[in-house]
Amino acid sequence: MENKRPLSEMPESLKSVVESNNLLGSKLLIFAKADMTHNCEFSPFVLLLTEDALIVGTNGKLGMTDPDKKEPDYTEFSFLKYQIKDLSDPQISTFVVGGMFSLKIDGEQIPICAFTNAYKGRVMRIKEILSLLIKGEEIKEERLFEEQRDEFCPKCGMPYPEKNRKICPKCMDKRKIFFRLASYFKPYKFHLAAICVLCILSALVNSVWPLLNGTLLYDAVLAKNKANSVFEALPIEDYAVLLLILVLMMVGVKLLQQLFGVIQGVIVAKIVPNVIARLKNKVFASIGHLSVSFFSGKETGGLMSRIVDDAANVTNIFIDGLPFILPNLFTIIFSCVVMFTTSPLLALVAIATLPPAVIISIKMEPILWHYNSRQFQTHRDFRSKLNDNLTGARVVKAFGREESEKARLQKVNVNVAHAQADAMNFDIKYTALYHIAQSLASVLTFTIGAAFVLSVFKPPMTYGTLMTFTGYVSLLSGPANFFSYIFRWWSNSMNSAQRIFEILDAKPDVTEKPSAKPKPDIKGEITLKNVTFGYEENREVLKNISLSVNAGEMLGIVGKSGAGKTTLVNLITRLYDVSEGEILIDGVNVRDMRFCDLRKNIALVSQETYIFKGTIFENIAYANPKAGRKEVLEAAIAASAHDFICKLPDGYDTEVGSGGRGLSGGERQRISIARAILANPKILILDEATAAVDTETEKNIQSALKELIKNRTTLSIAHRLSTLRDADKLIVIDDGKLVEEGTHGELIRKKGEYFKLYQIQSKALAMRGIGD
Amino acid sequence: MNQNDILKQESEEVEKLLTVNKLSPENAAFHQTKGGFITLTLSGEDKGMVNIICAFPFTAPEEYLSVRTADDKQEELGIIENINVFDSQTIALIKAQLEIRYFMPEILKVYSVKEEYGHTYWSVLTNKGKHKFTSPSGSSGSVIRKDNRVIIKDSDQNRYEIKDLTKLTPKEIKKLDLYL
Repeated sequence: MENKRPLSEMPESLKSVVESNNLLGSKLLIFAKADMTHNCEFSPFVLLLTEDALIVGTNGKLGMTDPDKKEPDYTEFSFLKYQIKDLSDPQISTFVVGGMFSLKIDGEQIPICAFTNAYKGRVMRIKEILSLLIKGEEIKEERLFEEQRDEFCPKCGMPYPEKNRKICPKCMDKRKIFFRLASYFKPYKFHLAAICVLCILSALVNSVWPLLNGTLLYDAVLAKNKANSVFEALPIEDYAVLLLILVLMMVGVKLLQQLFGVIQGVIVAKIVPNVIARLKNKVFASIGHLSVSFFSGKETGGLMSRIVDDAANVTNIFIDGLPFILPNLFTIIFSCVVMFTTSPLLALVAIATLPPAVIISIKMEPILWHYNSRQFQTHRDFRSKLNDNLTGARVVKAFGREESEKARLQKVNVNVAHAQADAMNFDIKYTALYHIAQSLASVLTFTIGAAFVLSVFKPPMTYGTLMTFTGYVSLLSGPANFFSYIFRWWSNSMNSAQRIFEILDAKPDVTEKPSAKPKPDIKGEITLKNVTFGYEENREVLKNISLSVNAGEMLGIVGKSGAGKTTLVNLITRLYDVSEGEILIDGVNVRDMRFCDLRKNIALVSQETYIFKGTIFENIAYANPKAGRKEVLEAAIAASAHDFICKLPDGYDTEVGSGGRGLSGGERQRISIARAILANPKILILDEATAAVDTETEKNIQSALKELIKNRTTLSIAHRLSTLRDADKLIVIDDGKLVEEGTHGELIRKKGEYFKLYQIQSKALAMRGIGD
Repeated sequence: MNQNDILKQESEEVEKLLTVNKLSPENAAFHQTKGGFITLTLSGEDKGMVNIICAFPFTAPEEYLSVRTADDKQEELGIIENINVFDSQTIALIKAQLEIRYFMPEILKVYSVKEEYGHTYWSVLTNKGKHKFTSPSGSSGSVIRKDNRVIIKDSDQNRYEIKDLTKLTPKEIKKLDLYL
């Protein structure tokens, strides 16, 4: 029972109340909480089910429990005890949100409590186990355990935003993620170091500019006074030449700036695509290993954005963020040193006027981001609407709905326009405010500086020094901004990284045991022993199914849609694992077999055929990439696909697009049958293999299938019972239970469910003139 | 059972599936059990406990109510085209049931809405008390807006309703603006 906890586990505070009041009397089987009265008023409830009683406790207080307090004060609870022998008919009435638990007491259905979705699972369990107790049935030990699942972050107490993702975005260890991420840049450590050096060099060059542009230009060259400047050492007295030298220096500085930028860009271009590609590859490889349940739980769109956007997101911080920390710090320090040595008073003024701009940036930038992300969201809606429209173009035309579709698209388009306008408006406001704050600061500095130049304040300052000074002030605003958003940027990047690592670290639900023994050749005997299964906890799709199929036999599976037929075959191929019971192939539990042996020996032909992008040859050979042309051709002939393939202009080399565009349903189906024939499995599963095709094609496919099922154990699911007449055995599944079993003749004689279905179908087919 | 019987039974079942049984005071009477559940007597026959489901819960909550058996099969017994054809007592009874079935705390005040890492953290006052919840942001379906009525689904799929957006304070509306 690894990772499972007993359902009887109570919070400590409740346990002590239960023990001190001696409430139980017999063994506690399961404990549940609920949060509403039967009138849907919030009020805390506890339900305790023992071997012979149901105990219901509540404190009678109405109103939602304090959201910051996870457990109510159980000492205030009063408890009611119902003996199981007095109870019958436990029921859950499902509401749109949550539901109500009720029981028959003294012949009257009485509501016990209601609950929201968070408590649904456990109360459902109580109902189930209580039903078994009332019927006097044995309760299997494994039913009294559940998967360990915490709902709150143990550190900050906030609920996990995603129930199946036990990550608290606030408390995750960002440093650990960072270092893990950094390991992806290891092969590029010298490149990264070079980027850092270049950044520092650019910062140095940048810092020289105000000197050239200020004191040197105005005070030394234009004022024709080279004393106390770098030109003092030069034996040149002609100021026109000095001006030329200064201009050359300025051009040199600008060229150097550009040069450093270009080199940096080249290095970045070398690192980024490689790291992103490596991350994407890794994520894709991990996704391939995960169980089917992972894919059914997530939207494909979400997965795509994870692979594409998150990978790009995380690399950004390494390229545009981290290398700039040191140079920005350097710029701040250098500028401050120069400013304070030039004029401490003016420096203080300049620094005091900086914060308003920084504050505006800190406050308004996140809102701008939000507007931008909303804009992005509406764009996405628009794209998906457009996609919807173009894909469904035939339906739109067929119903003559072009005008209304235009209107619908227009509505989404208007949203895009609004979002865009909002974002632009805010951006304008933000930029204007920011620049006003910045301009005011520089005007103020400049005015006070001018007062020094005019000797209003002492010591007097030259015009050139003032220019240099203001140059440094404007140099400061870049780094100040940088430090105001780098932290948020860092958090966001780390969150993206976290999401990527989650996929990399996800453990598949269905795993191969390390002790699994190789069994390359199987005979194909299948046995199911008391198999119970549900995709979600508490919702059983298959209930206690036992059956056996001898090697080489054909088993027909019959039942209504949603009865659990496909689920049954999914369990045999181990796309999912059974919740209870076991499935044996040749007497070996499928859980003890290697995946490769299982997959090699089982092939599936289902109603949904998937044709990959590639040639027809590649699509057939998908099952066995080593197969040569001869084998593929033989398989296609056996699947009666050869004929239509040869009629295509490019024959087996015909390119078929993703989804198999260009091929009809029947043709796709025959390709997938050829694929299965080529796989040469011992166990063949046909899941409504002919449901999507017309009668003529069905006849062709049927003859192809006859060829295919020879010498194989075949499980065939079909709605058309005529296709199952040759089955060695038939089973009828209804609502997850096996209700009938036998040969066609036996079941007809039995005159039960199968007989009924058969009669209806043969009559209906006869009426359509296609009876067999 | 011979073939004809089966076919007859089948066509009867199909017939039943295809006809809409209109419920009106003439053929249907609703009663309340001691436990607070609703039972239906249909054309003099006791159908036991029933559930009432809105076919259009958002756009027409008092029209086209589907009355179904309360067991696992949830078989439809009939449709109430408009609740107003019944007497006031029955209307009250049905409305009370609907209120429970479509239970949704109403948001009266928004203390804070914060978005972090793809999730929206809400702190609100509802008609049932203070509450905090998280909803996935950006994902379609977590916020449904019909004019000024807003329904927010949290990550457990519990629902919360803002009956009339315009009744919130401008400050609250501004807080919400980005999330709707």
